[in-house]
Amino acid sequence: MSDLQGSWLERELESHGVSRREFLQFCAAMTSVLALPDSLAAAVAQAVERTPKPILVWLEFQDCAGNTESFLRASRPTAAEIVLDTLSVDYHETIMAAAGHQAEAALTKTVAEKSGGYIAVVEGSIPTAAGGAYCTIGGRAAIDIAREVCGKAAATIAIGTCAAFGGLPAASPNPTGALGVADAVPGLKNLINLPACPANVENLTALVVYYLAFKRLPPLDAYHRPLFAYGKAIHDNCERRAHFDAGQYVEQWGDEGHRTGYCLYKMGCKGPVTYQNCPNVRWNGGTNWPIGCGHPCIGCAEPDFWDKMTPFYRHLPGIPGFGIGTTVDQVGVGAVIAVGAAFAGHGVISMIRRRSDIERMQRGPQPAGPAAGTPPDETGGAKGGRS
Amino acid sequence: MSAAIAAPKLVRVYVWEWPVRITHWLIATSIILCSATGLYLGNPFLIVTGPAGAHFVMGWAKVIHFYGAIVFALSVLSRIVWMFIGNTYARWDKFLPIPKKRRAGFMPTLYFYTFRLRKPPGFVGHNPVAGATYTLVFCLLLAMIVTGVAIYSGSAAVGSVLHPFRFLIPLVGGLQTARWIHHVVMWLLLGFLVHHVYSAVLMSQVEGNGTLESIFSGYKFVPPEDLVYSGYRFVDRNDVP
Repeated sequence: MSDLQGSWLERELESHGVSRREFLQFCAAMTSVLALPDSLAAAVAQAVERTPKPILVWLEFQDCAGNTESFLRASRPTAAEIVLDTLSVDYHETIMAAAGHQAEAALTKTVAEKSGGYIAVVEGSIPTAAGGAYCTIGGRAAIDIAREVCGKAAATIAIGTCAAFGGLPAASPNPTGALGVADAVPGLKNLINLPACPANVENLTALVVYYLAFKRLPPLDAYHRPLFAYGKAIHDNCERRAHFDAGQYVEQWGDEGHRTGYCLYKMGCKGPVTYQNCPNVRWNGGTNWPIGCGHPCIGCAEPDFWDKMTPFYRHLPGIPGFGIGTTVDQVGVGAVIAVGAAFAGHGVISMIRRRSDIERMQRGPQPAGPAAGTPPDETGGAKGGRS
Repeated sequence: MSAAIAAPKLVRVYVWEWPVRITHWLIATSIILCSATGLYLGNPFLIVTGPAGAHFVMGWAKVIHFYGAIVFALSVLSRIVWMFIGNTYARWDKFLPIPKKRRAGFMPTLYFYTFRLRKPPGFVGHNPVAGATYTLVFCLLLAMIVTGVAIYSGSAAVGSVLHPFRFLIPLVGGLQTARWIHHVVMWLLLGFLVHHVYSAVLMSQVEGNGTLESIFSGYKFVPPEDLVYSGYRFVDRNDVP
């Protein structure tokens, strides 16, 4: 306990009435979110409480502030909240007291003085069309701000699907030329994507804890997503998986299967192609999650989800040009029937010609005129040998 | 009817070696097996009632699909390897209408299919049009393998040999796009199946050379001039009674 004396965290915990026990419980929970062994919980707790107060700037571009909402949570103060709240958030338009030039001055100051020592969090996509004119803050284009602030950060966290992959603003036809951070500011080192719409605050907290405890980034996947949160398909941790394997599906909204809690696969659930720890961590303080309350996953944590995961209530999109609502199977059956019909017609003509050939041959003369050109045969006399 | 065509002198040629025939039938069987189970995977139409623990319908469909896919992938890859070590009829250059002979025979073969010629040029193995078609089909087969492996790798256990193939997922445009490609290509292959069976019957009938039987036995019965004569094959005038 003596280690804790005088640390910033100790003071904050005390002033918010959060007990030591609660703090340790939080560290244990974070250790499990991070998929680390239980025995590391104490080490995580020590590392977190000893670390200096991390500095964080939060940039909002083309967004709905949904990730900010997720970050702020309105539930009772918890140890998680203390850790997040006591991050030194030097700049966050939605929650900071300063406004206008004062606010911008705070950002400029942090970037200049703490260059290479702060964490940049980006929320929202970055428009690149029309010279970045679709999103400017204090007269500067979002892309310029992102380049400077993220470029000088120790690490950049792209929070939410818009910041990670472009999200809704980047959906077709993408009039603003919106991009995710990775594409808008290529070559950023230490970029972490925390997609989802919005990102789950538990994963942000776990990421911050990991960073505080280990002073480095967690292992990432090909999309820069931390594996602890995005390493497994939702489908593979789903509580309705037994119904999937059994072959029991919701056939329509409100039917017996829906009321019983059958699998939502046939209602277009994208759980099998979406990576997140929703089934384990859940939302709103672990209350529930979409599939838990009977709605199929819409795949919000995946790149281009608005274009690729739609129609949300269908297993697969149709084929472009065959009309909205036409399924791949309908087109496929049609195509196979068309092929069959075409060749049946071809067969009838072939048989008629063949019969006339035979009749002509039986009469004696050459059945057909000599053909133009003399394409040589491939074999040159080889009988099954190698050419 | 075929007896009416004069019984020309035919030579028995070993065209399809056993690896070609075996991979052909393994690919065909696995495509049918995987399409049947795949159609269920995409749209599980069976109604299953009772406790979930008592059934494993989707589970078994997936098991059959995956084992069929293993047979399929290994057969396709084996056939591709055989393109480089098999006999002349199995070789890779028969799949591309690039060598001079095959380029020259391409259009006449197409003319035969479109009824502009009475007889096709006398190619013993794949004709140039069929060879080119099979190149496209092999592309579809490979697309099936790549998208299938990508989809499987996403949920493969860490120890699975397919787990490292997760790198394919972004390359195929994400898993949902991979699913879509996998599904569309299945229909293209089923369409090809209809075409393929028909063409085999047609060529067997018109050429009277045992094309259909050859994929079982390996042997075709071809006029000697097809083996030595460069040009179109017509029934020898002297052989017509």
